[in-house]
Amino acid sequence: MSSESSLFSHRWLPALLLAPMLLLIALFFYVPVFQAFYWSFFLEQPFGGGSEFVGLENFQRVLSDAEFWAATGRTVIFMLTASSLAVVVPLMLAIAADRKIGMSYPARNILVWPKGIAGASIGVVFAFIFNPFVGLMGPLNALFPGLWNPGIDGTDAFITLVAAHVWSGIPFNFVILLAGLRSIPPTMYQAAAMDGAGPWRRIFDVQLPLIMPQLFLTFVLEFTESITSVFALIDTITGGGPGGSTTLLVYKIYVDGFRGFDLSGASTQTAILMVFVLILAACQFYFLGRRINYER
Amino acid sequence: MNKFTLAAVAAVMAGTGSAQATNIEFWYGNTGQVETAIKAQCDAFNASQKEHHVNCVGQGSYEVSMQKAIAAYRAKNHPVLIQFFDAGTLDLMLSDAVEPVQDLMPDVKWEQYIAGARAYYETSKGKLFAQPYNSSTLLFYTNKTELEKAGITETPTTWEGVIEAARKLKAAGHACPFVTDGDTWRVLEQFSARHGLPIATKHNGYDGLDAEYVINSTFAAKHLANLVEWRKEGLVRLAADTKAGNYTAAFNAGECAMMEQSSGSYAAAAKAFDGKYELTVTLAPMYKGYERHNTFVGGASIYVMKGHDKVEIEAAKAFLDFLRKPEQQMFFTANTGYVPVTTDVLDVIAKSDEANSPKYATAKVGVESMNQPATADTRGIRLGFYVQFREVFMEETQKAFAGQQTMQVALDNTKKRGDQLLRRFEQTYKGKQLP
Repeated sequence: MSSESSLFSHRWLPALLLAPMLLLIALFFYVPVFQAFYWSFFLEQPFGGGSEFVGLENFQRVLSDAEFWAATGRTVIFMLTASSLAVVVPLMLAIAADRKIGMSYPARNILVWPKGIAGASIGVVFAFIFNPFVGLMGPLNALFPGLWNPGIDGTDAFITLVAAHVWSGIPFNFVILLAGLRSIPPTMYQAAAMDGAGPWRRIFDVQLPLIMPQLFLTFVLEFTESITSVFALIDTITGGGPGGSTTLLVYKIYVDGFRGFDLSGASTQTAILMVFVLILAACQFYFLGRRINYER
Repeated sequence: MNKFTLAAVAAVMAGTGSAQATNIEFWYGNTGQVETAIKAQCDAFNASQKEHHVNCVGQGSYEVSMQKAIAAYRAKNHPVLIQFFDAGTLDLMLSDAVEPVQDLMPDVKWEQYIAGARAYYETSKGKLFAQPYNSSTLLFYTNKTELEKAGITETPTTWEGVIEAARKLKAAGHACPFVTDGDTWRVLEQFSARHGLPIATKHNGYDGLDAEYVINSTFAAKHLANLVEWRKEGLVRLAADTKAGNYTAAFNAGECAMMEQSSGSYAAAAKAFDGKYELTVTLAPMYKGYERHNTFVGGASIYVMKGHDKVEIEAAKAFLDFLRKPEQQMFFTANTGYVPVTTDVLDVIAKSDEANSPKYATAKVGVESMNQPATADTRGIRLGFYVQFREVFMEETQKAFAGQQTMQVALDNTKKRGDQLLRRFEQTYKGKQLP
């Protein structure tokens, strides 16, 4: 420990260097969060003409609102399907790219490119790809009319959203998982191979256990990220529809607060969502995190 | 350099050039052709005199403009003038953030505004809160060329006629006879208004904050249920059913033959049809046996925000005076399809050589639509959290169109959720009186 703290000779220098970042976080994270929690106990007029303290009434109302639970349900389904796929798909790609198969070198490069694309741009592109007339499903729709239409069918819209999210999650998870795989000493595979383990056995008994820390990291980030980062995709692809079928909690908050000027309702839901994400992350660390062996 | 940077640079240079000029900001939400017309009006105003300079800032949409105005007002950094749309009228009336234009400028001949346009923006005592700007109303657009191909020579004026025409079009192989996006403004509000049906009790909220929705029990419920049946029959298409994915684009491209749309879309439709199809714009269809009433004014109006000093208010007044001038209103109408709503402008148009020119087509029919006999239920909509109600209506009715629930269940749910919004609004503004 002494070597780490002796990096800085001056006592206040570290604090000073940290200050700008802390200030930014405080300004753009802690202050708004505090404000949201504060407003969740009031009925707040949009233009600040006055506000009334209502205690837990906002929470009571939100928690007894069927629409809130429907949006929460959709959020959980999205979290489970989209974030699982967003780890499993890059995992398969990383295992493939790690092996010395044809194209694995260029693939390690190309698969990272989507990282450079903003969520909103991905949304625009996917809205086009999944367009029922000119997109990928166009020919199928011509054969079976009405088979695929995300503008009418809520399930189709949800699938589009999951596909876009998984695709946008590939680069980051791919890099992390590939780095994990590359750091496994080759002698381990060689030893396993000499003991008669085939490729599948080597994946399940050598590779996966040894990249557990990376898998854990990607899962934790994905689960918490999928809840909030999906906003840009919803906004550009479905707008929450059709019939509210893709109105996830994060989007509902935006619509209520910014389109409907219901600051108190949106704040209350924000507070609930934040507590939910914190509990989720805590659970992951408590139940999964402790079982992971970081030593090799 | 993009347009905005250029505009900003121009604004800065203009500011330095005339040091004494009072700079004020005007925020608007329109895009496309309408935005071009707004910018042209700003430039014309700035060029016309040296005393004031208005900096017109496009916010991309009415909602975004309002979001920013709320944040800016709380930070005391708000513009002097802001354009805001019909559905937010009550939010602004109770906000205490705006100064009624009739108080600020008592000498203006406000009575020149046609009743249909006034009623939406005035208090129950008849004081105008905002200056109507880009006023529109719902009109019926048809592609005459396509209709004639299917053997329909007269533009339908009733829903029965529209459906008969749609059947003929379908029989002639047309894939999209009538298109709509099912938007609340089009299929519920304007429908209820012109059929003389209330949307909520207390005359749509004009008589008190304790109103309740009645949309599930008026004739509008029957009409909406009809739309579902007609869609199953292939006569009515939703935006998502069209190749264009957007109903206005589908109509403009000739994919769909009929639509109900704001007069503000006229310029774009006429441009798209030019040389390919013939366009007709008429009063929106009625059901047989119903007397026609006025349609609501749509679009947006301009509010003067509180908290500015005298010179800034003077500049704002000068700009509002400028926008009210007949030639400015005529310019705006000719370039956008929005409707002039003061009688002096209508007189000028009627007397000019271009009275029957297509560029004023919407003015004539739009004003005719808004000037139909009024009732206490066709003045406007004064209901709280109304923007959220529109979202709820869309969500529930989309489920009905997708077959997940019947239209009656959808409307019952909409009423229930809408009433909850009204009660919460009432509580949020407890102790405040409707002006």
